[in-house]
Amino acid sequence: MDSLKNRVGIDVGGTFTDFVMFMPGADRLVSHKHPSVPSDPSRAVIQGLAELLEMTDTTPKQIGAIVHGTTIGLNAILQRNGARVALLVSQGFRDVLEVGRGRMPSSLNFHAVKESPLVPRDCVIEINARLDPQGNVLAAPTGAELERVRSEIRALAPDAVAVMVLHGYANAAFEERLVTSLSMHLPGVSFCSASSIWPEIREYERTLVACMNASIQPLMQRYFDRLEAGIASLSIEAPLFISTSNGGLVNLRTARARPVETLLSGPAAGVTAASRIAVAAGADHVVTFDMGGTSSDVAVASGGQPEFTTRTDIGGLPLILPTVAVEAIGAGGGSVVHVDAHGIIKVGPKSAGAFPGPVAYGQGGKAPTVTDCYLVIGILDPLRFFNGKLALDVSLARAALLDIATALGLDGPQAAEKAAWGALRVATAGMGAALRKMLSTRGLDPVDFTLLPYGGAGPTHASFLADEMEMAHVLIPGEASTLCAFGAVLADLRRDFIRSLRCTLDARSMDELRQCITALEDAGRVWVAEEKRIVESVSFQREVEMRYGGEAYDLKITLPDVDVTELDEKFVAECFHRRHEALYGFRDADAPLRIMAVRIGVIGHVRPVPLPEGAGQADEPQLAGRRQVFLHDGWHDVPVYDKATLGPGFVIAGPAIIEQSSSTVPVLPGWRAEADRHGNLRLLRAGQSCS
Amino acid sequence: MQLDPITLEILNNQVVSVVEEMCMTLQRVGRSLYVKETADFACALAGVDGKFFAYPGSIGVSGFVGLDCMPAIREAGTLAEGDVLITNDPYHSQGLATHLPDLHVIAPVFHDGRIIAYLWAFVHCSDIGGRVPSSVSTTNTEIYQEGLQIPPLRLVKKGRIDNEIERLIRVNSRTPDNNMGDIQAMLAAIGLGQRRVATLVQRHGIATFLAAQKDLCAYTARRARAAIEKIPDGSWAFSDYLDSDMVSGLPVRFAVKVVVDRGRITLDFTGTDPQVHAAMNIPSAGKVHPWLTLRIMALVVTLDPGIPLNAGLQFPIEMIAPRGSVVHPVRPAAVGVRHAACVRVNDVLNGALGIALPEVMTAANSGVIIPVVAAEPAGDGERNVQVVEPMTGGTGARHGMDGTDGRDPSISNLANNPVEMVESELGVRILHYGLRAGSGGAGQWRGGMGLELVFRIGVDDTLILARGLERMRFRPWGVQKGSPGVLTTLSITYADGKVEKLDGLDIIALGQGDTVSLCTAGGGGFGDPLEREPALVLSDVRRGLVSVEQARQEYGVVITDRQVDAQATAVCRGRPLAREHDLGRLQWETVFSPAVMEVFGRFLDTLPASRRHGEKVRLIAQVMALLPANFPVVRVEPDVLAQAHDAFATAVAALPAGAGHAC
Repeated sequence: MDSLKNRVGIDVGGTFTDFVMFMPGADRLVSHKHPSVPSDPSRAVIQGLAELLEMTDTTPKQIGAIVHGTTIGLNAILQRNGARVALLVSQGFRDVLEVGRGRMPSSLNFHAVKESPLVPRDCVIEINARLDPQGNVLAAPTGAELERVRSEIRALAPDAVAVMVLHGYANAAFEERLVTSLSMHLPGVSFCSASSIWPEIREYERTLVACMNASIQPLMQRYFDRLEAGIASLSIEAPLFISTSNGGLVNLRTARARPVETLLSGPAAGVTAASRIAVAAGADHVVTFDMGGTSSDVAVASGGQPEFTTRTDIGGLPLILPTVAVEAIGAGGGSVVHVDAHGIIKVGPKSAGAFPGPVAYGQGGKAPTVTDCYLVIGILDPLRFFNGKLALDVSLARAALLDIATALGLDGPQAAEKAAWGALRVATAGMGAALRKMLSTRGLDPVDFTLLPYGGAGPTHASFLADEMEMAHVLIPGEASTLCAFGAVLADLRRDFIRSLRCTLDARSMDELRQCITALEDAGRVWVAEEKRIVESVSFQREVEMRYGGEAYDLKITLPDVDVTELDEKFVAECFHRRHEALYGFRDADAPLRIMAVRIGVIGHVRPVPLPEGAGQADEPQLAGRRQVFLHDGWHDVPVYDKATLGPGFVIAGPAIIEQSSSTVPVLPGWRAEADRHGNLRLLRAGQSCS
Repeated sequence: MQLDPITLEILNNQVVSVVEEMCMTLQRVGRSLYVKETADFACALAGVDGKFFAYPGSIGVSGFVGLDCMPAIREAGTLAEGDVLITNDPYHSQGLATHLPDLHVIAPVFHDGRIIAYLWAFVHCSDIGGRVPSSVSTTNTEIYQEGLQIPPLRLVKKGRIDNEIERLIRVNSRTPDNNMGDIQAMLAAIGLGQRRVATLVQRHGIATFLAAQKDLCAYTARRARAAIEKIPDGSWAFSDYLDSDMVSGLPVRFAVKVVVDRGRITLDFTGTDPQVHAAMNIPSAGKVHPWLTLRIMALVVTLDPGIPLNAGLQFPIEMIAPRGSVVHPVRPAAVGVRHAACVRVNDVLNGALGIALPEVMTAANSGVIIPVVAAEPAGDGERNVQVVEPMTGGTGARHGMDGTDGRDPSISNLANNPVEMVESELGVRILHYGLRAGSGGAGQWRGGMGLELVFRIGVDDTLILARGLERMRFRPWGVQKGSPGVLTTLSITYADGKVEKLDGLDIIALGQGDTVSLCTAGGGGFGDPLEREPALVLSDVRRGLVSVEQARQEYGVVITDRQVDAQATAVCRGRPLAREHDLGRLQWETVFSPAVMEVFGRFLDTLPASRRHGEKVRLIAQVMALLPANFPVVRVEPDVLAQAHDAFATAVAALPAGAGHAC
């Protein structure tokens, strides 16, 4: 049985490619890092994989599945260097991409420019084909019309053609037939029908899904080919799965056909892992906090389930596929500290990136970063950074921060440290402002949440941010720096299906709703059946998008995964009223309810990965040393502990430093730390702390 | 500044976080579409001086950052702990509210028994009574027709809503539940603001909190001044017109002189027309007011995108807005669509600054915001009313950059409606919704293209409304030899094939099969079209935005077989080019020359504010009688223009004495 074989999760980052292997036989998790190869990410994947096999004495035959996340598609869209795509649209709507939703990035800054369209206007072709909102055919192309369109496509010689018929979501077969009759005489041109990829009402957004898919498909397919060949060269026969933006994974066949689903797979996998770890550790409501080099990302998860969004911004283009809702909230470890022309300190948004990186890297960076601040105040040990793989020069960092101090009018022997401490507080205030805003949009209060940090700097910055947010709990996973790869190992198969409905809720439309759910779930079952070898069970996530008649905003409600005959009109209505009341504080019992769309997530559960159990009660942890740390306004002599020696139950009071593999956790004054039995570190705040 | 630069930046983040959180709460709990969908609301923190020191950057209406709460606070009398004042009255709040649907609330924040700040919120409510549903109509002539006026008074006293005031507001509105829902949402936002401010005071201490109010504004003012210092010292004048006030049918003239002196900027609106008997007046109270300074704030933000938004943005600005003019009306002038006038105020400021900063400012934007609304019969005399599309045009070109095609965020950065949604909600069929090729003014950098919307009526007796139809007489101007954008046009093709061109529209009833075609103006061009890179002209031709004829006639670029013919282009560009110009403005100003208009204006200023508009209409109508009906759009012989001008000059000269020394 394949589900008992080893599963490997792989995440390609800017600096490192991370590997996590789950070995069900030995009940063991192993992680590994290999430097990334930006020019061909698959090389690092293959080399690292080979190293992983060797270091764990695993034979290729013992590998049951490889799960891989990639940002190749995302980068191609952001840099607009994907395939040459032609777009075919209903007559009258050539400008669907140019007009977009009509908004500009700023209403005040008149030098702001609109996003450049994914397909330029001269590659857009109109065709006399159109439906009405019920899916009835209003115009169908004649043979002559089809031939005209074919010759226009030939003239453009595109790699791929995206197709959008107005109201195509209401009659996907029409668009399919159109594609069939066009492609018959156009060998070598691949077509991508918007209504078959994502049949949701809203022509601009649906067209974009098709264009994005068409634009990244050729290069993703080439990448998958290289990856497959590389894996075969290691004699591994296990199937390859690709992580998706909804926190799940799909088989290679689906990923080749629908690469647009993989765009945001990296961050989604991290949140998936974080939310599972949280539930296992008894934290039901978490804010995940991934602090990387250039920025910090947050997401909300409750009961192990990350929150989804159906509107993500991809460099100015909206993506409506269900995606784990990850938002950027500001500075990362590489964000630059500077003083503006009026003497005020700023952190970011510029980042030093991987090169030149922080000043302390000694690669020529002149502008101090958040990482330099940690070093100068003593939180980071220059000899232990990245497990000692990167030698850091504190004196360079201190000199750069001294310049900042001078510009701020700070002097005295501790000027550089004061500037560093101030910069960290400023960075934290900025993150806090963004995080508060994100939570209050959802009507959530930060004090009800545990902060779950990961990424290179997340564990280092977590208690600063928790203090700012008045959050009392921080949960730091044992493998905080390889969480995205871990998420890939954990993830279940998942695909989302949608149908737009637009009817008023009554007995008749309830029938339609039930049929719709059944049809989508049947399609989901067929899809998941392809992976019988690793799927142990199937479940469904049912969401209905509804609104009050006369209102223009939709709300998603979740219906239980029970027999559809048990779902009646009254139950659905009450679900909606309740949700509305919870979010907006009122219900309108007299208003008609409109059903707008149904979304079904089909989940093929893989064998669950048990979280590692710690080595039982430990004695008093060994002091690994002491170091001088500058906190608030002076130096403190602070004990340093090695996380590996920290058993569950023992409490460390701040100020203290805990070193764990590839991250450093400061326990600030007013906080205490303890390890739990899963190898996580918990930080708890006692009383209030000043800003 | 009193605070150290680290504390200041921390507080800068934290106070903005408070007001943005207030906004999120308001939007989440709010009831009406204006709040939920179009985000026509805002929240802010005002200092003890009533001016905003913290304003949201990423949600809500950004333009109101320059409002002043203090006159409303004074008018309401003493505010105690737990009180919240409400007002929508532009005149008694001295321009805090700027039309009646905007409900403003203000609550004092107390600490140790004294007021340390004010929390402010506003929403555009669905309806506050008056002559028409939604309360806003261009053709209202007095504020009494525009709905219930609420002078600043205490809605909440010691934490409890005054039921009598609530009843008064309820019975005067067509949407009482929505309004009270939105008011409750504002109170919820204020409650959150009270708690968050208390936390900030606890963390930083009251002295630091009070110092931050001043320091944050001073910091922004410094940055604003640094931006304005990029404008050379000097004085620049510009004028522009609204096609019509929609009541008298006459154009409305806006004139400004911008004087810059070492980082200070004075806006002098002398020469702007008297207040009109229509709802286009801007109730600024004659002060430095957001509706009169929006383009200056936009300039500062454009030059310094990261600048914190607060009252300091306006510190470098001084205002001269003559009392009784469109930009400083006196009661009871109607104000409902003051944003229509603001569009043109933006244009004249943009034009004047463009002379001073040719490499920064743009040519004229389309200058239109037209919400096209369809009201279909829905049985029982009810109507299904929906916006088909909110139509704007393109933006003006600037140095080094073409204008934006089909989008213009300068007044309201609204999202449009997906065609599939519109057709699901209404019986109309949208045949075309896209860019209007050829409409952007030619230039070295061309103006943005306008939009084109063509739709067929599906149900008999459908009413179509198109408020804000503008730029049908006066074209969006180009600069530095750039051509003006093409005029807005509206036509109806009836089911029987008859075509009618309209030069304006308030409301019209149409039948099944009739087709409406609306084309909005393009933005003005920048720089000489002959200087445009032929490759860019070719790209526009290939993309179908400029025709081959237009390329030759307006740019002197000859394109054959989808390629630039370099030789023919050189020849063509060597010959003089017939340039596009704004015939409407040229002819209008030939007859009503600015010099004579200035004398006329001085005469009007001697009259009571309420009489000026009537006098102006009377005299101009006499002259218009000498001209064809669709003057100034239709071409008129020069001698007819000259005769009309003489008649105007003679009439002005014959006005009673005192005309020359009225200021």
